[in-house]
Amino acid sequence: MNKRLIFTLAGAALVASAIGIAQPEPAQARIKLATLPDKEAVVVRFDHASQVLVEEERTISLQKGVNTVDFSWAGTNIDKGSIVFRPVDGASKVEILSTSYPPGEAALTWAISSPDARSEKFRLSYLMANIQRETDYRAIVSNDESTLTFKHYFKIRNWSGGHFDSADFITRDGKTFEKALDQGEAKRVLVNKWDKVKLTKEYTYDLTRQYEGKVMTDYVLKNTKEMGLGGIPLEYGKVRIYQDDGKGTTAFTGEDWGQFTPIGDDMRLNIGIAQDIKVEYKKMTNDIENRRGNVYDTNEVDEYEIKNFKDSEATLTLVLRVQGEWEMQKDSSGYESFERIDNETIKFKVKCPAKGTPVKLKFHYKRLNNW
Amino acid sequence: MKFLIPILALALLAPALSAKEELVTLPERDSVQLTIYNSEDLTLVRERRTLTFKDGENRIQFSWANTLIDPTSVEFQPVGKDAQAALEILDTSYPAESNQMLIWTVSCNKAAGYEVEISYFTSGISWQAEYTGVVSAKDDAVDFTAYVTVSNHSGEDYENAQVRLVVGVIHLVERIVDLAQPGQGGGRGMPQDRWRGLEEEAAKGEAQSNGMARPKEIQKAGLSEYYIYTVGGTETIPNSWSKRLRSLEVKGIPLKTVYRLQPDKFGPYFTKVLEFKNDEEHKLGKEPLPDGVIRLYKDAGEGRLSWLGILASKYIPKGDEVKINIGPDAECTLKTKRTGLTKKDLAFRLNRIVGWTTVQEFELVVTNFREIEVEVEIHQSFQGDFDFESEDGFEKHDADTRKIVFTLKPGEKRTITYTVTTRSGTNVK
Repeated sequence: MNKRLIFTLAGAALVASAIGIAQPEPAQARIKLATLPDKEAVVVRFDHASQVLVEEERTISLQKGVNTVDFSWAGTNIDKGSIVFRPVDGASKVEILSTSYPPGEAALTWAISSPDARSEKFRLSYLMANIQRETDYRAIVSNDESTLTFKHYFKIRNWSGGHFDSADFITRDGKTFEKALDQGEAKRVLVNKWDKVKLTKEYTYDLTRQYEGKVMTDYVLKNTKEMGLGGIPLEYGKVRIYQDDGKGTTAFTGEDWGQFTPIGDDMRLNIGIAQDIKVEYKKMTNDIENRRGNVYDTNEVDEYEIKNFKDSEATLTLVLRVQGEWEMQKDSSGYESFERIDNETIKFKVKCPAKGTPVKLKFHYKRLNNW
Repeated sequence: MKFLIPILALALLAPALSAKEELVTLPERDSVQLTIYNSEDLTLVRERRTLTFKDGENRIQFSWANTLIDPTSVEFQPVGKDAQAALEILDTSYPAESNQMLIWTVSCNKAAGYEVEISYFTSGISWQAEYTGVVSAKDDAVDFTAYVTVSNHSGEDYENAQVRLVVGVIHLVERIVDLAQPGQGGGRGMPQDRWRGLEEEAAKGEAQSNGMARPKEIQKAGLSEYYIYTVGGTETIPNSWSKRLRSLEVKGIPLKTVYRLQPDKFGPYFTKVLEFKNDEEHKLGKEPLPDGVIRLYKDAGEGRLSWLGILASKYIPKGDEVKINIGPDAECTLKTKRTGLTKKDLAFRLNRIVGWTTVQEFELVVTNFREIEVEVEIHQSFQGDFDFESEDGFEKHDADTRKIVFTLKPGEKRTITYTVTTRSGTNVK
């Protein structure tokens, strides 16, 4: 006994052309179930960083003996090699004997052996290309900049050639939402919202990030439970930041790419320039020392005059770089603390009093030319 | 808002998710607020409308053909506690057939009319600061007026909008104009007579209220690293039009005149710099002065002005100095002479010179031909291993530069002398 079932995931354009209907304009490809059985449950999983896995369930009536089931997907972007087909019931007596691939077709045929006539539910899994996903965030910072409301949105755009009447979409962090999604359509859904997330604000002078020497304002979010986050790793995505203006509305205060942030790590977001903190750099000493033939050391003093014109005190982090072999000298002054991050980089924290009172960071170092 | 392009269409959700939208209502905007940034081509538009919702799922269509709206920025928010309790946004759909339209699916648990806020970014609206300074005949004071000019090239007319201007440099990772899919056609101008009509209407309203129209007040408040200027009342800014409003006017700010010699920057002559501070002592200091163009005039007597020049100003924080460089001025002169040159400490190796020291003496004669006292600031820079000596008092500006500062009374002449000893070759320490 041999029964032949056909499932088709056919592009509408292809169907139309096959039956000779003139198309006024190119029609969009569309997943269409031409024959029974129906898709019963469709799950679209985004848990892999780049691939999208679709799982669908179908109940197939099988005869005793070997049954042949056709599956075709013309017009859609299914990765043929990724197709996995098995009974939902792991203990099922039904067995898939072989899979055959006809030449030049987006199709395959399964030979399924059944011990008796029965209805069996199967699960079909495959990778589908051209379903784009995008994460973005909206942050609404409190008026005093101590906390924020962090909203996490997930957006899917479907260019796969198929369409989903109804599917469960599962994000990388396991959130599920049920939606319909047409070919070419995009949907954006709020998947997570965290209130009262603590944030810290930092001012940084770093010529590799801002070559003109302007002071950048960063918000730093710690992805931990104590800070109000920490449930999931935060995906890479654009963060648009608004602040409560204290008058019942908000103002947009900047945006940045939020990097992928594992649980426990920091997400640093540059919102803009702190124009009220000015840094003026001068090289005060640049002397040659310890001349030996054609090699010598240098004795250098870099001075950073910082003026904070804000109404309150601020701490500025200066990230400075010196190439080669060098040693900081003990009479360096004006800082609260420092940390040599790597051989080339040193980070100073400087307390800057309010209302423009200048403070000077003296960075004294000797560049050594040892051979 | 007759020319408004973004439309709202409230439609019932058909059970089968039919693509056909049934337009139920096309509500007017209740209010609109523009927050315009000067560091980027960006404006945040917030508009409020009252929509009628039915129980269950409601679909609201928003489209923005022929504008410069960034589709990724469009947001929908219920306004007020009742609306927030009743409405929930289930998703935002961007249909395949149009890239200038979106549909919100909003579930409602209590049918009623609710106020909602729709916000989005648009490019094409900008503002900039402009300043006019009228310097007194004696250079000792300036009458200072600051303006803000708003220009609308967004393709959209904004009538009776609350206008907020943001002073500051925000960080953007993508340009709004790129996100707004340009090339969809620009703006449409508003007929001249219509614009005049609006102006007259606005003027009438003000005249009725207090008998005489007054310039609008601009309120300023700090927010994070920025300042927000809120223009009093509402403004109508049709597409392709600009509007200038006065933001600050201060008369008689005391000025200091400094003649600065900085050969590295400005060449071998004095430049005249007018200085004041953005502080209370100078009748300012309540707000920063945003970057912009300064147009300077001089009081030519009898209420007339003469042109001094135009220059770009950087952002001036509260409490910082304002330095207006108005270029070379021959009324303070400088004569430089080298009065001595000696070479010494010569060192030879294999009959060739390998080390020497040069001693040079200089004399600078500075004359103030003006009728006011001026400050003089002389910067002199040198290369290599040098010593600088002078009995005229100097300070080390940086490793290569020495600075001499003094004041000159009207008509006074002063001679400065200094000696520079430069070690070269093997004489370098």
